[in-house]
Amino acid sequence: MKLATRLRRSARIARAGVTLWLIYKVPDYLRRALGLPTPARRERTHERAARVMLRTALDLRGVVIKVCQVMATRSDVFPPAFVGVLKQLHDAVPPQPFERIGAAVERELGKPLHAVFSEFERVPLASASLAQVHRARLRDGRAVAVKVQYPDIEEIVRTDLENIRRGCQIYERLDPQPLELLPLLMELTSHLALELDFRREADSADRVREIFRDDPTVVVPKIHREWSTSRVLTMELVDGIKVTDLDALRRAGLDPSDVVQELMRIFVRMILAAGFFQADPHPGNLFVRPNRQIVLMDFGLSKELPEGFGLGLFELMFSMMTLNEAAMIRAFRELGFATKTGDPAPFLEIARRMMRRSDTGRFEGEFTEEMTDELFEAVRENPVVKVPSDFVLVGRAFSLLSGIAHTLGHRANVLAAMGART
Amino acid sequence: MTLPLPFSRPPADERVTYSADEILTTDPGLEPLIANGVRCHGGFDPTGTYRSPRILHRAPAIRAWQGRLAAEGASLVTISRELLPPQYPNVAQAKLLLQGGVREPIVRALTMIAIVEGFGAIIRDVRVPDLRALVREPIDGTALAHLERGLFEAHARDEAGHRSEGGHKQMWEAARDLALENPRVPPDVLMRVMGGGGRPSERRRSFPQLDETLEGMLSTMANVLVIEVFAAGTFDWGDRLLSDPEVSAEPERAGAMVRCIRGDETPHVEYLRTALSEIRARTLITVAGGTIPGRSVVDALLHRTLGVLTTSRPKEQRAETRASVAEAMKRAGSPGRLLEEFDALETPLAPPTRTGFEPSSGAAGHAA
Repeated sequence: MKLATRLRRSARIARAGVTLWLIYKVPDYLRRALGLPTPARRERTHERAARVMLRTALDLRGVVIKVCQVMATRSDVFPPAFVGVLKQLHDAVPPQPFERIGAAVERELGKPLHAVFSEFERVPLASASLAQVHRARLRDGRAVAVKVQYPDIEEIVRTDLENIRRGCQIYERLDPQPLELLPLLMELTSHLALELDFRREADSADRVREIFRDDPTVVVPKIHREWSTSRVLTMELVDGIKVTDLDALRRAGLDPSDVVQELMRIFVRMILAAGFFQADPHPGNLFVRPNRQIVLMDFGLSKELPEGFGLGLFELMFSMMTLNEAAMIRAFRELGFATKTGDPAPFLEIARRMMRRSDTGRFEGEFTEEMTDELFEAVRENPVVKVPSDFVLVGRAFSLLSGIAHTLGHRANVLAAMGART
Repeated sequence: MTLPLPFSRPPADERVTYSADEILTTDPGLEPLIANGVRCHGGFDPTGTYRSPRILHRAPAIRAWQGRLAAEGASLVTISRELLPPQYPNVAQAKLLLQGGVREPIVRALTMIAIVEGFGAIIRDVRVPDLRALVREPIDGTALAHLERGLFEAHARDEAGHRSEGGHKQMWEAARDLALENPRVPPDVLMRVMGGGGRPSERRRSFPQLDETLEGMLSTMANVLVIEVFAAGTFDWGDRLLSDPEVSAEPERAGAMVRCIRGDETPHVEYLRTALSEIRARTLITVAGGTIPGRSVVDALLHRTLGVLTTSRPKEQRAETRASVAEAMKRAGSPGRLLEEFDALETPLAPPTRTGFEPSSGAAGHAA
């Protein structure tokens, strides 16, 4: 990456940082100077700040988009207005020109495109923060999807992460009550390192396929390892209907409630039973075939969970469903939740809040979107509680699944997904 | 089957209509049951006798509905205990494993029992149709009229626990932890509970002429009744094994816990067999407006369930369990003869030739 580009990116990130600082601090100074009270809610301020982040992300792309996507999943840390604006980035990443992408594939595979592929579509099927996917055909006639990492992305990631890290350090020094952003950044750094290695993604796809080896209803595209590297991933092209395309599902004679229940069963099996899961179940990564098979895509963000985590999570979900406060507190501890002071009172408060929520709606046997959101909101409002990073990823996955269920107008019965039968 | 107290014959003037709150009420003033530090449901009366939860009104209600059924000249469906497949591993085999240092299969089995008990909570999600529109004869003052009015909910709470009180799930866990001193739970237990791959098979309809929700509800009730009756074998096994001082660290407390659970299951068996018997004594209205005897529907559903649970299912379970026992022995470095000894202790599986509910038999198992 050229020095000028590097400087431009640093300056753009610095400018965004200063703008955010001013958005939050100037009104505070003015209020103090005029003797006005601090407002209890600052939704509009959060929304303005999030829009600054959004513009910066769309301008700089790459890792900044990734950072914003991660922020959009952390409703336990960031306010709802912030999360709401940044959520847009899950579907709005513009692609890169084909010339750059084609050249990157040739460089990685060490051959001209036509030597490997008889067809390679110029317009991508999808584009994301780190890579984009093109439809192609191997010379032997097999249809494939080729995921190509953006050129220079590794260096962009390094530079941007360093800039963001410096910005966070300055913020934590200046702000009397800072949000703890550096641990989040470290978590993101480790995830990015994994996501940038496509060989690991290939291994993860194989591992998930193995979990469902006795389950013909789940499809994980096969990887063509001979045409894959750490930056290019060539895989079987599997068609299907996007999981949130309600009209297409109905036209194919598929029952949306069945799709919702199946998705929950598949993710419950990965997370609770197998301890390894595809951690990014957004609608662009999930497809349904007319024969009711579910297709799982994109294993860049896959996660191995520690031994015992599945059982701990099962206990937490079970205690939520049976409104058992004492069991919930035990499960929080077993999962690695902790309080900074060692005082168990915040757990009790969160448990009571969950119980209250359950009193106002049906909560027994059904998994609800509110279940995850309410938990994260309760945690955010009890900043003394530390949430284990594994839980955050799992919570995010369930939250994404609940979002899909919401779009399809149905809810999943989590007990049935675990194997309980009526 | 002999009905244990308090389900013996009722006086004729007992109440037959209750509110959901009444069905869910536990005797007041019980001393709480605390198991391995976990508060469980039910409790002890002043004489020190264990009282199941939510039976203050539920027990006399079931007794009254059964009395009414008898007064109408109808019989209670009874599933013969002779149909129970033998437990695998049996008590002698389980003892051999524990004494041989191969604890994992037993810990796994006890944990799976606890989880499956907890799954019993799903009965509260069973959809109940408008029975008054689908059953020709009146159902007021019957168990059927109370399925949604407390009976399913009480069953769910008994199995999974509710609010601050643990249910059978937590009680089985406590029995396991007392007897085997808080053992490490094998990490594959949930994978085994969730079973093999594939989406759950769709329920095969036996009576497409009936309202689908009604058939679904009756089919679930028949299934759960058979499972509850067959659970007697699990309780015998759990009680004998966990009460055995040669393998249990807390034989008295662990065994007592299993007996408490067993007592709690009695109302489940009784309300299910009562409600199914009420259907059996009535006439069902088909979707097209015709009729079909409730007896033929209930008997066919029980026959189908019993057929699966006495033949193919025990065979599959044996094969899976033996494979996991062999693996666990290998991991524990057990001598090869241990598996031979284990196999030699096996109780042979002898699937029954009849269920007692054959469609042409004209008899509903055994009348109580």
